[in-house]
Amino acid sequence: MNDFSINENKKPIKEHGTITSYVAGFVLSLIYTLIPYYLVVNHRFSTSALVTTIISFGIAQMIIQVVFFLHLGRGPKPFYNVVFFFATVGLIVVVVGGSIFIMDNLHYNMTPAEASKQLAEKEAIYQVEGKLTGACQKLLANHVVTISGGKVTPLHTNAQLCDTLTFINQDSRISDIAFGPHPRHDAYAGETELTVKKGKNKTITLNQSGIYQYHDHLDPTIAGDFIVAK
Amino acid sequence: MVDEQAPTHHQAEADDRALFGFWIYLMTDLLMFSVLFAVYAVLQGNTDGGKTGKELFSLNLALTETLILLTSSFTCGIGMIAARAGHKNQVLTWFGMTFILGLIFLGLELNEFSNLIREGHTIQSNAFLSSFFTLVGTHGLHITSGLLWMAVTLIYIAKRGLNSNMVRKLAMLSLFWHFLDIVWIFIFTIVYLRAFA
Repeated sequence: MNDFSINENKKPIKEHGTITSYVAGFVLSLIYTLIPYYLVVNHRFSTSALVTTIISFGIAQMIIQVVFFLHLGRGPKPFYNVVFFFATVGLIVVVVGGSIFIMDNLHYNMTPAEASKQLAEKEAIYQVEGKLTGACQKLLANHVVTISGGKVTPLHTNAQLCDTLTFINQDSRISDIAFGPHPRHDAYAGETELTVKKGKNKTITLNQSGIYQYHDHLDPTIAGDFIVAK
Repeated sequence: MVDEQAPTHHQAEADDRALFGFWIYLMTDLLMFSVLFAVYAVLQGNTDGGKTGKELFSLNLALTETLILLTSSFTCGIGMIAARAGHKNQVLTWFGMTFILGLIFLGLELNEFSNLIREGHTIQSNAFLSSFFTLVGTHGLHITSGLLWMAVTLIYIAKRGLNSNMVRKLAMLSLFWHFLDIVWIFIFTIVYLRAFA
């Protein structure tokens, strides 16, 4: 037996890769790895948009590798393999998607401290069984912060507990407001990130007293603070 | 080597059956990984006051690991072309490169794990780290068994040469290796990139 005997009695089979298909798969995979890496390092979008984008790139890369490396669906008898592959993908979508969906709901509806505070705030439940939840019974004055030209006006806001604060975005792009000095992201009133689209506004209830800073997560030079007195 | 006079059709059918069986194994393994991914996605925020992924992971290390594994998947594919063409020495070269890259990957991963554990972030620290070590560790165990399998196969080929039986075994090994690369892409995306998003 010599090393080259295999070649002769093999019919030309298309399902196996060629150098071209491996190189193409490799190059495409590299590109689809580096783009999401670049996007994350430079923080191009808001967090939720970024997560969606990187997961899409992950799925795209899986498809590239299944086609160029695993050669699924090519060759004379791909039928069983393809069917089994799609059945598995279907099961994964049900199991993973379903688990995340259910657990997110559970998380939203029953978790300690921070989330129940947010819920109490959203539903304006100011007391449960005679105990105050920290949510406001009645909302008092409204304060406005305008974001335009890369600045916030006014820079400092003085407010009372249970006042409301409205962020109005008049800039030409989306604003992602995070609480705390850059680069920290603290929570205020149960919010960790307040996304205000251009031309829109968002209002929060000032239910925690103290001095708080906020900044635009996408451009930390846009920053200000508010003082909430008891 | 199979009987040269026997119809190759028969051999091809046997190969198809074996590869289909292996494909079923890979798909069920993928199901297991998907459940671990679901667990991680649900538990990733439960740090029990401990450090988050953003503070613990290094994105550059994760990128390096990804590029190494991706390259090893590529060399493995080229090795498979050489195997089908019957070039024994090329098979040993390309799969040898795959083996070395896999070994470097495993070394980087073990180093990351031992650094985390030395700093007190163990599998018992919180739910987030439990699911992290389980998911990434399971992948690492697969890589380890893949490397063992590759080593044995390469030694066999070096000693006894390449025959159609070995080509079929290499085809399964390369399927396994590409599969691990695909799983890693999701670990890179969901565990590492997402922590920094």
